[in-house]
Amino acid sequence: MSDDHIDPMNLTAQLHYRAAGNPPSTLPESAISNAFPGLEFDIRNIWRRLLVGIELHESDNYVVAADPGHERLVGRRLLTVAGHDVIGGLVGPTRPGAGSWPLTTPTNPDGVTMLEWSNSLADVLAEHVGRSVPCLFTSGPAPNPVGKPAALPDPGFEVVELEVRPLFARSAETGDPLAVIAEEMAGPGDLTRGLCSPWQNDYRECACYYWAASRPDYVNVEDTAAGTSTGNHWFAKDREPRVYVLDGRDDSRLVSYDDLFQDWQGRLRFIVGGNDAPEHLEAEQEDR
Amino acid sequence: MTSIEELRVLPPLAVGRLGAAVEPMDNYTAETDPDQPLAPRRLRPAPTFRVDRTSGAITGVETPGELRFTDGQGKVRPVAPFLEVWALTDDHVLRPLTLDLLRLNGLTPGDVRWRVRVGNHKIQRRTYDDRDRIDADTEWFSDHAAHALNGLCPNFLEGRSLPLGHARYLQPTPGFPGVRLRFTPAGGHVYGSAYTDRPTDPDPNVVDFLYDATKGTWRGHADQAGDPRLTIPAQIYAGDDGPNGSWVSRGYLDDECDGLVHVKLEVSGRELTAFGRIGAGPPAYAPDSVPIRTVADELDQALSGPRATAGDTLEQARAVAEEVLRRATETVRLMNTEVMNGNTVDGRVDAASTMVRQDTADTGRLFEPIMAPSLVDTAAVLALHQNVLAALRSGTAPWFADVLRDHDEVGDLTAKGRRKMPALMRGADGRSLALTRRQVDLVRLAARQAIFRQDTDDPEVPR
Repeated sequence: MSDDHIDPMNLTAQLHYRAAGNPPSTLPESAISNAFPGLEFDIRNIWRRLLVGIELHESDNYVVAADPGHERLVGRRLLTVAGHDVIGGLVGPTRPGAGSWPLTTPTNPDGVTMLEWSNSLADVLAEHVGRSVPCLFTSGPAPNPVGKPAALPDPGFEVVELEVRPLFARSAETGDPLAVIAEEMAGPGDLTRGLCSPWQNDYRECACYYWAASRPDYVNVEDTAAGTSTGNHWFAKDREPRVYVLDGRDDSRLVSYDDLFQDWQGRLRFIVGGNDAPEHLEAEQEDR
Repeated sequence: MTSIEELRVLPPLAVGRLGAAVEPMDNYTAETDPDQPLAPRRLRPAPTFRVDRTSGAITGVETPGELRFTDGQGKVRPVAPFLEVWALTDDHVLRPLTLDLLRLNGLTPGDVRWRVRVGNHKIQRRTYDDRDRIDADTEWFSDHAAHALNGLCPNFLEGRSLPLGHARYLQPTPGFPGVRLRFTPAGGHVYGSAYTDRPTDPDPNVVDFLYDATKGTWRGHADQAGDPRLTIPAQIYAGDDGPNGSWVSRGYLDDECDGLVHVKLEVSGRELTAFGRIGAGPPAYAPDSVPIRTVADELDQALSGPRATAGDTLEQARAVAEEVLRRATETVRLMNTEVMNGNTVDGRVDAASTMVRQDTADTGRLFEPIMAPSLVDTAAVLALHQNVLAALRSGTAPWFADVLRDHDEVGDLTAKGRRKMPALMRGADGRSLALTRRQVDLVRLAARQAIFRQDTDDPEVPR
């Protein structure tokens, strides 16, 4: 790729193309996808309509809607697509010093967990677009998770052939894939529908700091004499003393829900190099 | 080589970021230091377009002296991406659509037509009521005015709409001849729901009341436990405790959105169309950091498949491996790893929403820290990442391939399974984060490079 030419077949270059004037935070690589549900997009939504005839929950193997002819699949669970599992087993210890075994609960009696669509359906997308593939469903409604049968046929399960829909739009000229997600896979509003409402609530609600690039936690960190570290909680109203205030959701030293709803722009600081951006320090000095 | 055969909108997915400042965020670059690859990326101001408010034309390009993410008066500068139109010409090359290319095809900028459609369907996703969908549509336009994206919703109060930003077709000029649209997202405000007999019910948390709580159910909505259609996680909306452990919505909404930017052009009697996607999310508050697994990684895998291919070189694999390590370092740098490990901190056990808590709550797994509590101070974890990088670069890190979590191992909550990398973080399936399979395959390729060197005469051939 040069500045004024791109190989039309190079979809990766098109996907990552940074238009003139656009900072890096406009690129899809600035948006998290280890999302539960996410901050910029709930990208799990792009998989809901991969199988023609049914609509899946954005992050579960539960069928939420179906086209005419497939209505009976609504409420069922999908377990495999073209032989690829979309669920996996849960295993671990329940007592100190004990061994590990399947982790079951009354609402998850088979001890299974969903696998992310983007990984579990990656082979299906790569190998079967435009073709019908066998999909294994429960044979009836299944509000709770269900494990795979030991063998087939099994009266509790049904195999249905469904076509795999392309995830990306196609060139009207050549029919080749483009680098843009097809409109029929996600319409306006579909990529953000699963996000928190309002998003400010998520910044306070989820006291889990997996999203450091967008929502940092531990900032202004410095070494201590003991060789460990100390620093501020990103939500700390005051940066001195430089101690980490453990998030209790109601600690008055930290920004509250109401603070965020009313003035997130004034409360939250940009972090550069792990520290408050210089413009915030200037503002502090002016306030003194 | 001048005939326009087809159009593309690039980038295919552009992220806007909310902010109420008048001036959008300036352009910048985030550069890595080859001598210190795990050091923070260096942010440098970059050429920034200045757009005339009246004409909609780019009047100049400036590189600011310093980067400022706010306006200095308590407002965040919105990130407002440009989307360019590119043309596939009859020599099978993609090139920018410019004044010259339009003219060579007997066209003018006024022949280019745009339409932007965005939605905020957060409420509808929870209430299942289609009358709760908020949608904005500019309809087709070819002028250079700012077109407001006013979100309409059947359940809004009479005459109200949700401002979702605006879109503007920038006027091409001889100095800046490209055909491009700019999406400027909204201010990032919180809006409320009111009953028609109390339309201005005091609430200092909201800037305005838009939703009619008499028509729709969003204010007072509570996710019904056990409903398999609920969002995962459920109850992710502003609310208050209700009866029987329920979480009752306050009826708040925001001005995030996502949608499509369509472009249309009639060339020699043929109507050519294309579209790109936009979204508006929160600011990137650590703009020199990149998440470990990104939306681009998802789309890369969807385009290229889950495994490294013959088209991937060892050099690329090494670059991916280093980038994964760099991103992991950036996350660790900004994360209190002691808390996330499930350590007892300041005398508090189970102090935050960690994978430790999540595993116990979801599955009944024994509550215990993931790593030995003494090993997870941020300084120690950063040093560990530095050591891994050194091993990767020297070709002595084949073991690293074995500590990466595979996508189908997310349910392995054994002590060893939970220590796999990336550790302490949650993925989209709610269990510990796994990278995309393509990322993992490329990292493994790089980590095992020494083995390939012994086994093959051509170390640059991956498989």
